Amino acid sequence: MNSSSPRSIVGYLLALRAALAGADPALIQDAVYDAEEHLRAEAAANPDKSEADLLEHVVRTYGAPDEVAAAYLDTDTKVTVALQPPVSRRAQSANLLTRFFSVYLDPRAYVSLFFLILSLFTGCLYFTFALTGLALSLGLAILIVGLPVFLGFIGIARAISLGEGRLLEAVSGERMPRRPIHPGASVGLGERILETLRDGRTWTTLMYLLMMLPLGVVYFTIAVTALAVGVSFLLVPFAGTAQRLGWMVSEDTGPLVFTPVWIDTPGGWVFDVVFGVVVLTTLLHVARGVVRTHARTAKTLLVLQG
Amino acid sequence: MDDRHTRKFQKELNAGLVALVLLAILDASSDELYGYEIAKRLQRANEGEALFKEGTVYPVLRALSADGFLRSRIAPSDAGPPRRYYRITKEGRALLGQWSGVWSQTRDFVDRFLRGVEE
Repeated sequence: MNSSSPRSIVGYLLALRAALAGADPALIQDAVYDAEEHLRAEAAANPDKSEADLLEHVVRTYGAPDEVAAAYLDTDTKVTVALQPPVSRRAQSANLLTRFFSVYLDPRAYVSLFFLILSLFTGCLYFTFALTGLALSLGLAILIVGLPVFLGFIGIARAISLGEGRLLEAVSGERMPRRPIHPGASVGLGERILETLRDGRTWTTLMYLLMMLPLGVVYFTIAVTALAVGVSFLLVPFAGTAQRLGWMVSEDTGPLVFTPVWIDTPGGWVFDVVFGVVVLTTLLHVARGVVRTHARTAKTLLVLQG
Repeated sequence: MDDRHTRKFQKELNAGLVALVLLAILDASSDELYGYEIAKRLQRANEGEALFKEGTVYPVLRALSADGFLRSRIAPSDAGPPRRYYRITKEGRALLGQWSGVWSQTRDFVDRFLRGVEE
């Protein structure tokens, strides 16, 4: 076996983390979670063994940290490759025009657009939750109930961040954790609170939740504005024709008036369609790009790095 | 001779077999099982030197579950940290059926040569 075999559960987990250094942080979180679950179960099953004996047994049965790391790297690469949707050949074509329109074939572009629209709603929820939780924890801090309230609040915040991570992975393809952060060995309430306060991720998670409101407003505005502009321009030729044929008469508001007038002329119609298509296609590109950047930023805030 | 080649051979064999064995264990069990329990079952079933490390079981469980062949849920346990319980899905059963077929065929094929086939 390894000359520097770990002699404690914490030591084993650190060694595993080190063996996975450079891998996807989300993968590291999952691997460390599984190992911690197994090791703590092993410890609970053999209460009379010393920690060093237990670790020796673990290295023999569960595997040394570097063996386990290799198993994760191996399996994850295969699964990720298998789950990735095939890259459209057209997407790589050199033709600029085909590349521009190939976005319509990418399912991720549509889901990204949906994510942008949804983010106003989730942003409101997260912001309200984070602010209420913080205010409640701070306000109750002078009473003893403040402590469990704070821990419960952070616990829910972490569950939300896991869910948000799953959503972002589905939307952007960026690998996110599939397991929550392991709660670790049971320690006293005071110690757990100190640990939570010291953990940088607690604060970055809260920052993310608060940030989602302004971001959500911006995302929603971009998505809805571009959708409305694009679709309206596409509809001008139809509306204009329907009006000329007398199919569309509104007694209340009078006829539709287009400004500038030239957009409702046969020559203008060509412009309307081209312009509408360009706006909608650009929107899909922007949505895909924004969500990709968003997912990367979210990862640095929600997942422990390194 | 040297162990290295044997270990490498075993590792390559295990790559697909661990998944097959895991599906079979979960299919045979009427209850849902958690990772540690599955690992221990494997250990008990095996005499002598372990064929694979328990640590390799978890990533495979995760991969099978990500592909929809297993369903999992987390439940708190009275002794220690929460556990993730796994149960086989309908797709998992279908996959197990196909894989068992491939396995029997492969085993018979290899055995035929190892026993030294007549003609």
